[in-house]
Amino acid sequence: MFFHNFKYTLKYLFKSRILIFWTYAFPIILGFLFYLAFSDIEKNEQLDIIDIAIVKEAAGEQRENSEDEASGNSEILLNAFEALSDENSEDQLFHTVYVSEKEAKGLLEKGKITGYLLAFEKTPKVMVKENGINETIFRQAVSEILQTAKLTAVLTEKEAGRQLAAAAGAAGGAGAGQPDWNAVAEKVLGDIQEEQANIRDISGGNLSYTMIEYYTLIAMTCLYCATIGMYAVNCILANMSRKGMRISVGPVKKGRLVLSSLCASYVVQLLGLALLFLFTIFILKVDYGPNMPLVILLALVGSFAGLSMGIAAGALIKANENTKIGIIIAVTMLGCFLSGMMGITMKYVIDSKVPVLNKINPAGMITDGLYSLYYYDTFHRYWFNIISLLIFSALMIGISFFALKRQKYKSL
Amino acid sequence: MKNIIEVQNLSKTYKQLKAVDDLSFEVREGEILGLLGPNGSGKSTTINCILSLLEFDQGHIRIFGQEMTPDAYTLKKQIGVVFQDVAVFEELTVYDNIDYFCGLYIEDKKTRKDYVRDAIALTGLEEFVKFYPKQLSGGLLRRLNIACGIAHRPKLIFLDEPTVAVDPQSRNNILDGIRVLREKGATIVYTTHYMEEVEQLCDRIIILDKGRVIAAGTNEELKELTDIEEKVTVEVDGIQQPQLDRIKALANVKEVTNSKNVINIIYGEGENNFEKLLEFLGREKIRYHKIYSERPTLNDVFLELTGKELRD
Ligand SMILES: Nc1ncnc2c1ncn2[C@@H]1O[C@H](COP(=O)(O)OP(=O)(O)O)[C@@H](O)[C@H]1O
Ligand SMILES: [Mg+2]
Repeated sequence: MFFHNFKYTLKYLFKSRILIFWTYAFPIILGFLFYLAFSDIEKNEQLDIIDIAIVKEAAGEQRENSEDEASGNSEILLNAFEALSDENSEDQLFHTVYVSEKEAKGLLEKGKITGYLLAFEKTPKVMVKENGINETIFRQAVSEILQTAKLTAVLTEKEAGRQLAAAAGAAGGAGAGQPDWNAVAEKVLGDIQEEQANIRDISGGNLSYTMIEYYTLIAMTCLYCATIGMYAVNCILANMSRKGMRISVGPVKKGRLVLSSLCASYVVQLLGLALLFLFTIFILKVDYGPNMPLVILLALVGSFAGLSMGIAAGALIKANENTKIGIIIAVTMLGCFLSGMMGITMKYVIDSKVPVLNKINPAGMITDGLYSLYYYDTFHRYWFNIISLLIFSALMIGISFFALKRQKYKSL
Repeated sequence: MKNIIEVQNLSKTYKQLKAVDDLSFEVREGEILGLLGPNGSGKSTTINCILSLLEFDQGHIRIFGQEMTPDAYTLKKQIGVVFQDVAVFEELTVYDNIDYFCGLYIEDKKTRKDYVRDAIALTGLEEFVKFYPKQLSGGLLRRLNIACGIAHRPKLIFLDEPTVAVDPQSRNNILDGIRVLREKGATIVYTTHYMEEVEQLCDRIIILDKGRVIAAGTNEELKELTDIEEKVTVEVDGIQQPQLDRIKALANVKEVTNSKNVINIIYGEGENNFEKLLEFLGREKIRYHKIYSERPTLNDVFLELTGKELRD
């Protein structure tokens, strides 16, 4: 019976035009549109050097005052921007002028610069007028540099601590004074070598701010698994469909039936996902980074989260199938929009202003997981997203459980 | 005769509306039981309660002598249901639909193949096995709906208004099919609001109104309930009031009405009423071009018991 239902579920899912459109065709079409749009942008933008301004000190403030406050951040920032603005470098990304805050404001108003950086602030601030690609690159550069700076500080502290402890051990507990700063610096430099590459990535043609769009595309496809799962669940529940009434009077355990249908749904989903990966990798030449197995794992877990969303929609929303498909698509699109489908700026804004939103948004989790795989060499953020997705799935299945188990209804 | 279904004091309310009200009846082995009632009288609700799909306020339901519950899989194996609304997969062909639903009951592939083929033959869908439901006419779709419900050769079959909105050809096919199923030994519960169907098909009839049994019995038994023996209709070229009065005065005549030279005469009792009327018309030299006699219908029974018409 399990296999009988599995086989026919596969059959009707594959034959359902609306489901196949949303889970197979739509992501590929959208991916292709992204490709057309971005290949153009990337060509043009590569030639563009972005005009920015940097404000080194606050108006009216004495230099010494700001010096010790903000030194850590601003030093690294200023150095990094100097490098990125080097006119002799092939990788030049910015054209930078150093002005007062008032002048910077004026330049921005007149549209002479894309934005300016308040480097003296404790957390350096980026001021822009519009939200375009140049603005995004500017922001992204600042955020990457700060991230690296933070990492450097942490690593330095750790390494210094380690050396002190080692020295103390060697001296038999007798007060070891200073760590060997040279050794520390060497170690830290080695450690952050790869992080540094990120900053270089930003400056080079390597920066693919379009990557995020493809990541949201994967997220969207994963979550569209909800339409398939919803439909399969709907067909079994007596209070959701006429077919469900017919199946419910049959001599089969509902749990087994649901499980068998969900397995079939997942298989249909994985095929769609495979298709999308093949299409984006071989035709659109999208680069998912060096960690393909982890990318695939994330897509598998993401699809499971989508499936669980579909179970909830199937078991809990009392509406017809097309309305439910509409709801799933709307929710997924909103989630993808918030995680950067229409431009990374959105992700940037949400992550910095309302971080909780993308922490509960499954599209955000998938996008961020892929993003962190590409940009960071540590996997904490990746695993955090995987675990978040699993918790999300468990929650969705949990709230649907009793509705799924129900056998007799108050009305049909 | 064994009771296949026993329903005792079944009541079911939807929010405020009492859809089934203290209903008791039984279904006997091998019979076709008709549940007759106007739309909204609680037929579908009753069936869904019997099948353990709906929660009900009170009552007991036993099938094959056993308490019916959602987990009574051995009972469920022997039951086939054709719901009022068509319930098939749009994405599967006629054959696949029947095979899918049959497969929930019959695991063995070879057996199932025979069963499915028989169901297709019974409903006359041979030419349409590769069609998708969308491509079928209303009547054929209903036949597919039936095939999906009975392919596993159940001993007890529920059919909830299987002929609603069906062309006459499909209707005949469906009614014939139901007779065949009974001949093969199935017990059948058949609901409808068409009195002609239950009169033609059913061994016993339960008339429902507002969720209550208002009468039960065979066709003949129910008709005894009215004090109408015979209805005669005469279409005349012309008639005068005194002649009408004299008809009224004939033996056993209960009521005479005349509208546009169509005269309806209702007899309460007696025999040879028709013959006597013919004599009378000859004597009075009343010319008529049509005359016929009818037995009372279930509509007359319903009218008598509830004061309203069964037809909608
Ligand atoms: N799901 C429901 N919710 C509320 N009222 C219902 C529901 N289903 C049926 N009813 C009401 O219960 C009564 C009986 O309905 P039903 O059993 O469908 O009658 P029938 O099958 O004889 O036409 C009707 O008045 C109908 O409006
Ligand atoms: Mg009904």
